Amino acid sequence: MQIYVCVKHVPDSAANIHMIDNRNIDDSVPFLMNPYDEHAVTEAAALKKQIPDSEIIAVCLGKKDAESTLRSALAMGADRGVLVETDDMCDSMTTARVLHAAIIRDGGADIILTGKESIDSEGMQTQFRIGALFDFPVVTNAASLEITNGKARVGCELAGGRTRTYELTLPCVIGAGRGLNTPIYPTFPDVVKSRKKPIETVARSQLNVSDAPGSAKIISMTPLVQKRNPRKIIGTPAEQAAEIIRILRQEAKVLS
Amino acid sequence: MTKKYDAIIIGAGVIGSPIAYELCKMGYKTLNVDKLPDAGEGSTAGSCAIVRAHYSTEDGVALAYEGFKYWLDWENYLDNVTDEKGLAKYMNTGSILIKSDGHDWRKVKKHYDAVGVKYEEWDLDTIKKHVPPIDLHKHWPVRRPEDPSFFDEPTEMLEGAIFCPEGGYVNDPALSAHNIMRAAEAKGGEFMFNAEVVDIRSENGRVKGITLKDGTQIDADIVVNVGGPHSFKINQMAEGVWEGCNIKTKSLRHEVMYCPSPEDYDYLNDGYHMSDGDIGCYVRPEVGNMFLIGSEDPECDPQEWVDPDQFYAGKGGPGRDNVLTDAQWKAQCYRLGKRIPSLKVPNQPKGVVDLYDCSDDWIPVYDKSDLPGFYMAIGTSGNQYKNAPVVGRMMAELIDACEKGLDHDKEPFHYEFKYTTRTLNVGFFSRKREINYDSSFSVNG
Ligand SMILES: Cc1cc2nc3c(=O)[nH]c(=O)nc-3n(C[C@H](O)[C@H](O)[C@H](O)COP(=O)(O)OP(=O)(O)OC[C@H]3O[C@@H](n4cnc5c(N)ncnc54)[C@H](O)[C@@H]3O)c2cc1C
Repeated sequence: MQIYVCVKHVPDSAANIHMIDNRNIDDSVPFLMNPYDEHAVTEAAALKKQIPDSEIIAVCLGKKDAESTLRSALAMGADRGVLVETDDMCDSMTTARVLHAAIIRDGGADIILTGKESIDSEGMQTQFRIGALFDFPVVTNAASLEITNGKARVGCELAGGRTRTYELTLPCVIGAGRGLNTPIYPTFPDVVKSRKKPIETVARSQLNVSDAPGSAKIISMTPLVQKRNPRKIIGTPAEQAAEIIRILRQEAKVLS
Repeated sequence: MTKKYDAIIIGAGVIGSPIAYELCKMGYKTLNVDKLPDAGEGSTAGSCAIVRAHYSTEDGVALAYEGFKYWLDWENYLDNVTDEKGLAKYMNTGSILIKSDGHDWRKVKKHYDAVGVKYEEWDLDTIKKHVPPIDLHKHWPVRRPEDPSFFDEPTEMLEGAIFCPEGGYVNDPALSAHNIMRAAEAKGGEFMFNAEVVDIRSENGRVKGITLKDGTQIDADIVVNVGGPHSFKINQMAEGVWEGCNIKTKSLRHEVMYCPSPEDYDYLNDGYHMSDGDIGCYVRPEVGNMFLIGSEDPECDPQEWVDPDQFYAGKGGPGRDNVLTDAQWKAQCYRLGKRIPSLKVPNQPKGVVDLYDCSDDWIPVYDKSDLPGFYMAIGTSGNQYKNAPVVGRMMAELIDACEKGLDHDKEPFHYEFKYTTRTLNVGFFSRKREINYDSSFSVNG
């Protein structure tokens, strides 16, 4: 089975975001693999265990630096990587077109895994657009996946804590959610081994991807500075607990 | 409005709080002033709080060994005070010092013998028996993952280790400072928070008091600089003090990583503190069955000397601010991954970044100053948490002796240890000393 995993190189959610102008994030801000994509890579590695002659190809559209995210995917179990290099920030229409072209150029997919969203642009569209370009079925926020008799049975989490199970014909596209697995992180020996795995770099222009009929461009970007108003919760442990419950109910509204 | 105290202590970290506690016990009326909201919230909160005896100098070993006894006797030390936040806990894991080219362990052993520190020599089989997931290949010299030879297959084996059964860590360093604050308050000490000192006033060649950011002036005949990574800024506020120090302090950024232990190893309960100069790391258990990984500052690593105000404000940019970097995360975790090959390294860095108040020779300055009445307990260089209670006592006695007329610069004060039988020439920590080349010039002091 040819398993493609699309991975994105995103700023570390814990980093202080610095901008170099009003559109680009300073390259020296730590970037790493989009956390949802870690679930996708982990699931790919599990599938390969189940279907041993599979090959896992990690594909990434990004700047040269994004190679480090592909290296992480290789250390986590991917067999090789394809970096489609661009200096542009691409919207999900373009990203899907490029990834689609890169996968076709590379061979063909039996299954394509992505994260359910990227934590930087939070578009939640790329997997659907890839599916549409291929004419493959798509589900997202997968929490379970089973492949039997050429079909994928996928449990997806919906809003409000509901889940729905789908059966998809292969090839298909699956957006991985947090519930799918616990990411398997590499050991140092895994990292050493992965250094020998190949990464092919393709310039975006080499792919001859036609422009989408429309596009979304970033005109300006500013870091969001969240206002924090810390308050001290005082009193006996029982009073403190009661106050926390009150805040969770009345202010944060996460408890009913 | 001015209010009179006998002594003002700038800083309520793990060093400032015990100085107040001990001065109070000696009858001084003290006030600790800290710009943060509570005790121990400065660099103490980011400390790994490891308690171990190996230092490069005999006095360093002796002080740490004496300090260790205080942690063992914590409730008594605090005179059984109650703290509504609970008490910090000393976790005795035992301490493994890997024999490597990264440590002058022969010197450490000699000091252990001189001071009477209990230890065992472990061969490789013994280490392996105690730390099942360990790999004992030799990797020296320490390198960075950006260097291709970092990934070379090791061929030689290590020699062994020195194991001290007495060693471990304190589970909550900020809480330990808070505990000491409560103990000091019980003896009459006062603490003032959210109050930043912006000036140190002097008159007729003697310290007179402090001025806070809001303009408040508070007077005292004694002012002690225990400002942690801000120590050099505070010395610069006091007339002639900074200029009078031969040994200066600066703040050095230090990243500490939390990496999950391999699943089949209960590191939290079965693990040891380990200093491993061969890979330039020290480790101890952390809640959540994590390896807490500190760096022993190997030569190949960049040193980031930063402005403490910028740093704590999250400014200065990547590698200079208070957020972990991917490069250092990989460096420290992969180094440990050579020692613990089953260690799994997440993609996202987790841990803490804080500042060492580093002196020129990584040995602290516990001293008076060129301004009468102004004292300092600074330059703790990432390695004085463990000594905090004994330093509190030593500083209080030094201050008392100087106030009673001792010329400590001419006739250095000798501090008599309370638990171990030994005296320490406090002149060892003098601001006027020449750089001590016996030092390791690292966190090992
Ligand atoms: C990452 C890290 C790991 C470490 N690991 C270990 C270890 O394993 N073992 C060990 O023995 N040691 C360790 N250390 C060292 C040890 O933690 C420090 O030496 C110790 O905590 C320093 O305490 P302090 O009270 O001097 O400083 P701090 O805790 O920083 O206290 C200084 C206080 O002064 C206040 N202050 C500064 N300027 C002003 C001003 N102008 N006005 C008012 N208040 C001011 C600050 O707000 C702060 O609260 C480590 C240190 C770090 C940073």
